[in-house]
Formats: sequence, C-alpha cells, structure tokens
Amino acid sequence: MTEAPTISAPTSGARLSRRGIERLDLLLLTIEALDLNGGEAMVWTSQQMGLQAQFPNRVELWKRRCLNPLRRTTRREQMDPVDAESLICLVCAMAERLYPMLHQLLSSREPEQLTLQRWELLKDRLGDLIEERMNLRREAVNRLLQAETAGPLHHQLVSTLAFCAGPGGIDRLRATLLDPTP
Amino acid sequence: MLKTTYQYEQTAARLVVEGFPDLSAEQAADAIGILSAWRLQLVGAPELEGTRDHLEALMTAVMPYARHRLSGVGKRFGQDGGFVSIGPHEKGHQLELRSSREGVQPLQLQLDDAELADLVRCLDRLRLDARVKLTWSFPEDLPLRRHEIAERIPLQERWASPVLAGLALTASVLVAWFVPLPPANEPMIPNQTEAISPAEPTTDR
Repeated sequence: MTEAPTISAPTSGARLSRRGIERLDLLLLTIEALDLNGGEAMVWTSQQMGLQAQFPNRVELWKRRCLNPLRRTTRREQMDPVDAESLICLVCAMAERLYPMLHQLLSSREPEQLTLQRWELLKDRLGDLIEERMNLRREAVNRLLQAETAGPLHHQLVSTLAFCAGPGGIDRLRATLLDPTP
Repeated sequence: MLKTTYQYEQTAARLVVEGFPDLSAEQAADAIGILSAWRLQLVGAPELEGTRDHLEALMTAVMPYARHRLSGVGKRFGQDGGFVSIGPHEKGHQLELRSSREGVQPLQLQLDDAELADLVRCLDRLRLDARVKLTWSFPEDLPLRRHEIAERIPLQERWASPVLAGLALTASVLVAWFVPLPPANEPMIPNQTEAISPAEPTTDR
C-alpha cells in the first residue's frame, strides 16, 4: 500500500444531496470491507492529511457517516459542505492506499479462480458490515445484499474507488456525488 | 537545447512524453512547452505513439469517458472519424485508434476496468504535472445533467411506469364510459301524510 497523498485540508465544499451522502458512506463501507483495519486507517489517514479539525477521532467520523439516511441509526441533519469535501478527500486517499487491491479485483488478467475468491471475500465482509450498520427495511439496502443485484453494485463501488484514486480523483468523485437524482 | 523526457507509470500502463521548453514563454529548462513525441505502453497491446494532436485526442476521449463511467453512464466518446474513440464493450471498454496515415486499419484495444483506471491515472499525472506546460481541451469534471443520468436507465424501465399509469387511466375511463349508469328516476316526493305519520303497524292477527 502506498503512503497517504499530500492533500491540503479543504476550506470549502459543495452541499451533497441525500443520494450523494449515501454513495459516499457506501464507498467508506467498501473501504472498510477491503481493509480489515479500515476504521483505524481512516482516522490515521485523516490526521496525515491535516483533517484533525473535522475528524479528531473515530466518533466524530462516525457521526458524519451517520448522516447517511440508509443507516440503522441516522441523524436528520444536512452534511456540512466542508465535512463533505473532507470525506471526499478521505475516500480518495484511502482508494490510493488500496489501489493495488482494487486493481487485482478489477483486472481480467488475474487468475479467474483467485479473482472469484477475492470477490466472494469482499461480498461477505461488505454484507456483514451492511447488515450490522444499515437499515435492512430499506429497499436500497436490500439490493446490496440480494444475490442477483449485489454483484453489479459491488463492482460499481470497487470501480468507483479505482477511478477516484490518483491525482485527479477528487474532482471526478465530487462531480459524481453532485449528480442530480434521475 | 536538451530534450526533456517524463515518464508516468501505473501498473499496466506507461506513458512517456518528450519535448522542449518554450523559451519564448520563458519556461524553465526542465519544462515541456513543446511536445515532440509521446509513447504509450499498455500491457498486452502494441506500443502507441504519435504527435500532440493524437495525445490530445486520447485525453479528450478517455477523461470524459472515465468521468461518465463513474456515474454509470456508458456512452461512446471521441469524434467520428477522429484519432481516438472509446466506448463500452461487453464487460470492458474498447479503445479505437485511427492512424493519420492512409491505408492503415484502425487499432482496437480491449481494456478492462483495471487497465482503464491505470490509463486514466497516467493521463491525470501528465495533465496535472506542473512541469508540463501544455493546455488540454477537455471539459472539466462537472455533475452530469439529469437527462444524461436518465439515459443509463434502460428505455423499457424508464417508460414502464408512465406507460402503465397511462394504461390504467385509460382503462378506468373506458370502464366508466361503458358501464351503464342507473336510470335517473324522478325524485320521489314523500307523501305528506306518510311523512308525518309513520306507516301503521300491520295487524295480521
């Protein structure tokens, strides 16, 4: 894994829609599924990036993530634009750290059996995290768990992380999260 | 004047650019203001090379394509008859390169998501490298328009709800039209005596 990129702490940002917050939190959840120590790594990375003001500890990070309406315990507030920008930077930095793993999952040149095992492992871990933290009465959450719909959604989450890693990833991810609801 | 070479490498992709500083613009000796050549190596594909126009066409096609893929929109990018175009193909992506030489068949490369991500990262590094003083003409990353997002939903799925609603409404109107209404009788004016005194109880005994 590579070092956390040097990204300066954001001072402004855009207000994310409800769907944008859902996607952002799901990307963080995918990162946790890919990295067993993901929660700690997020706090460490945010400190490396100078985001102590936004996320001084795990609890503050968790409180921001609880603004996701799909969560089991959700908070009815709007996400502060600076917090949203900080989370976007954090997702991109974590994607950069995990890029070799993301590459292995997405590459068709890896041995097929090994790739299937990796996807199965990710599916199990992500499923466990979703069952633990998300509101299972929501249809959008169930789609992430059902066998026939979960595969493409997991693939979309992993490829999103791969495309938002790297120097231009922050702008791409921000633009995507600001997409209007169809 | 020494030629400057920069290399951007990411797992399955390697991009090499060569050029010179534009001394008329007072650029530093290590800058590239005039691109003389570039080479792109993708694993399992022949080496690509070309001029600045070709690189610009590659950038103009690939970067917006990657941006749209993030939003789940898979449409083809690149001008018709241009040097480069890219679009979805089966489970991956098809990069089509056309040579400016006469009689050379277009080269089609199949990329998976990992290879495309590598290519995008190489191009990102090039365009954001402060030493490379070239301007690129592709739109910046902005949220997509509502109709662009709607296009990712299959036509059948998009129209299913309005069509069903229209059919249900039409069926309701037809049923209401053809079902006969009860005949409109003259309103019964109750007898004044009946109204005042209720019917006498029957004495059948």
